[in-house]
Amino acid sequence: MTPVKSVFQHASIPFAIINHEQFFVDFSKQWLSSFDLESDILGKNFFEAMPELPEELKIDINYCLEGIKNRSDSKRIVQKNGNSIWYDWKVSLLSEQDENSSPNILVILENVTHKRLEEDLLIKSQQVAKIGGWEIDLVRNTIYWSKMTKEIHEVPEDYIPDLAKGLSFYKEGHSRETMAKLVKDGIEQGIKWDAELQIVTSKGNVVWIRAIGEPEMLNNKCVRIVGTFQDIDRRKQAQLQLENSRASLKGTFDNSSIGMALVAKNGKFIDVNSSLCKSLGYSKDTLLNLNFQDITHPDDLEIDLFLLNELIKGKRNSYQIEKRYFNNNRQLVYVILTVTVERNVDGEISHFISQIVDISTRIKAEKKLKGLLELTTNQNNSLMNFAHIVSHNLRSHAANLTMISDFITDESLGEDIRKDSLKLLTKASKGLNETISHLNEVVQVKLEADKKLKSIPLNPLVDKVLTDIQAVIDENRAHVHISIPKNIEVKGVLAYLESIVLNLVTNAIKYKDQSKEKALVSISATEDNETVVLQVEDNGLGIDLDKYGEKLFGMYKTFHGNEDARGIGLFITKNQVESMGGKIVVESQPAVGTIFKVTLLKK
Amino acid sequence: MGLLDIAFIVDDDPIHQFGMKILLERIKFSNEVLIYQNGQEAMDALTQLIENGKKLPSVIFLDLNMPIKDGWGFLDDFVEIPHQNREKVVIYVVSSSINPSDQEKAKNYAVVSNYIVKPINKGQLTKVLDDLGLIDAV
Repeated sequence: MTPVKSVFQHASIPFAIINHEQFFVDFSKQWLSSFDLESDILGKNFFEAMPELPEELKIDINYCLEGIKNRSDSKRIVQKNGNSIWYDWKVSLLSEQDENSSPNILVILENVTHKRLEEDLLIKSQQVAKIGGWEIDLVRNTIYWSKMTKEIHEVPEDYIPDLAKGLSFYKEGHSRETMAKLVKDGIEQGIKWDAELQIVTSKGNVVWIRAIGEPEMLNNKCVRIVGTFQDIDRRKQAQLQLENSRASLKGTFDNSSIGMALVAKNGKFIDVNSSLCKSLGYSKDTLLNLNFQDITHPDDLEIDLFLLNELIKGKRNSYQIEKRYFNNNRQLVYVILTVTVERNVDGEISHFISQIVDISTRIKAEKKLKGLLELTTNQNNSLMNFAHIVSHNLRSHAANLTMISDFITDESLGEDIRKDSLKLLTKASKGLNETISHLNEVVQVKLEADKKLKSIPLNPLVDKVLTDIQAVIDENRAHVHISIPKNIEVKGVLAYLESIVLNLVTNAIKYKDQSKEKALVSISATEDNETVVLQVEDNGLGIDLDKYGEKLFGMYKTFHGNEDARGIGLFITKNQVESMGGKIVVESQPAVGTIFKVTLLKK
Repeated sequence: MGLLDIAFIVDDDPIHQFGMKILLERIKFSNEVLIYQNGQEAMDALTQLIENGKKLPSVIFLDLNMPIKDGWGFLDDFVEIPHQNREKVVIYVVSSSINPSDQEKAKNYAVVSNYIVKPINKGQLTKVLDDLGLIDAV
């Protein structure tokens, strides 16, 4: 038997023709290339040349050799090296013209491993993704559900659905109404759908599904709808939970009594809540156009930026500081700021979360408390001073009176001594009187401390005092220089303020330094938000504050041996200043001069 | 002739000065009574005496509350004087202060013999002489 060259050898089908002895008589080029064979297989035994083929193929070939016309099958074989290969084949008996010759067999064999794998994968992925299919045939009025679709509905595999039953699975209410309308629109108008709805399975479980439907129209009439049906319950639940937690986070953010802000890396506000807007007095829109640097007190910016930089560098995950913002009226807002960093999945900073607790009220209360404490301490000190005055100064007069009256009644003393004693008696009682009137003055200041304070312009007041003591100024050839800005007003009692200015200016002149060419007195005032500082500076004798500092404002303390020094002026001055809520401090250097600074309240 | 040579009164109150002087003269306390207005004046006088090699006062009656240099300031300066010069000087604080802290503070100065509360009278000054062992002579 001589092999014949087939006219089909170039056909793009992997085929071979074998004779009754199962020897190759012909094959296509594709056969060779498909199974990696050389053309020398011609005339060789089929199963010897290709030993690793499924047993079923051999059986099919034998069937055909025995007279069966066609056999086809699809089988897998695991090769010796472990590879598994799927084969598809068709085996046909070639009818011979020559009755005597033995029949030949046509074998078409294909390696379909690839195709099968893909099909397998598709099925598997459908199982994993829980995607089923369905079809509504409107011509024959039938419904088909795939196995997975049935599984999702939790119905048995032999369940036979119809359109009404299919719809009844959708949860009553929104889901069922929506689906009914989608199907109706699909049938009538050919509109596709893709919806996420809930069904109630035959076992009563409520499951989120995604249904996609695509109607096929023929002559404006819907003949068929095909689609998919996917169980998306887990994703949907997770999504709903996320939405829920997002909503509750948003709710917390919006309604928190703590100011909160999301801040971008450059400091710009991404989102702010109403508490923060309220604290800062800005509208949300205004804040979103600002960055935190714009509204931070310059003294607090450096530390804030430093710590923020540490966050960016990853040295820390959060920080907390006490800082000051400016509100819309440029007033200070004291806050405790806590900043935490938010990173995305790549670990990069997405934004910062700032929590801002407004402690302005607390700080104000603290300041007030501090002021009250200071005032109480001062009052306590002046009370001690007062007790000391009563015990010491009154006692010294009383002692003198006792001594003098002893002399007057002592007849053994000479007449002239007794006469002098009488004179001194008058002097002693005068002194007593004077001390009592001083004490009265002090008590008066303390009693009137509660008087309503009025706004008093400073400039005219100083002018008036200077006019009153013009004679003293001229007599001492003192040069008085005034630099008080116009319109400065202080809160106080007019008489006290006059007395304070009078005292400080006359002191400055009284204790002038004779060795200096001119006695200079400079009166000035500066103001800030809440206070005015009145300053009286001279180039006089000065005071050694290391020695006398604590006694300077005490009663009956004199330091220069001046004849008319009574040690009462600064004591009264201090009391008057404090009764108006102010304070007085002194800076001085002997032979250089003295500066008194009086801090007074404004408005 | 007084029992002692010199006595200092250091006090800024003219009435007290006047009374002290009379009382001291009456009991013939000393030959000389020198009056100083404050601690500084008294200190200056002491320095002068030391420089001139003259005798220091036997007793100093020292007030506490005075301008320029008060009694405490005087005491602080006084203890700086070399011991051999001042060992025979006796100091009495004479003050109207009944503040216990003043009396306590005065005790801390070894040079202060006693603390007399004003008003001063003859009896108190006689007792000073007694303390000095001179009473028999009165």
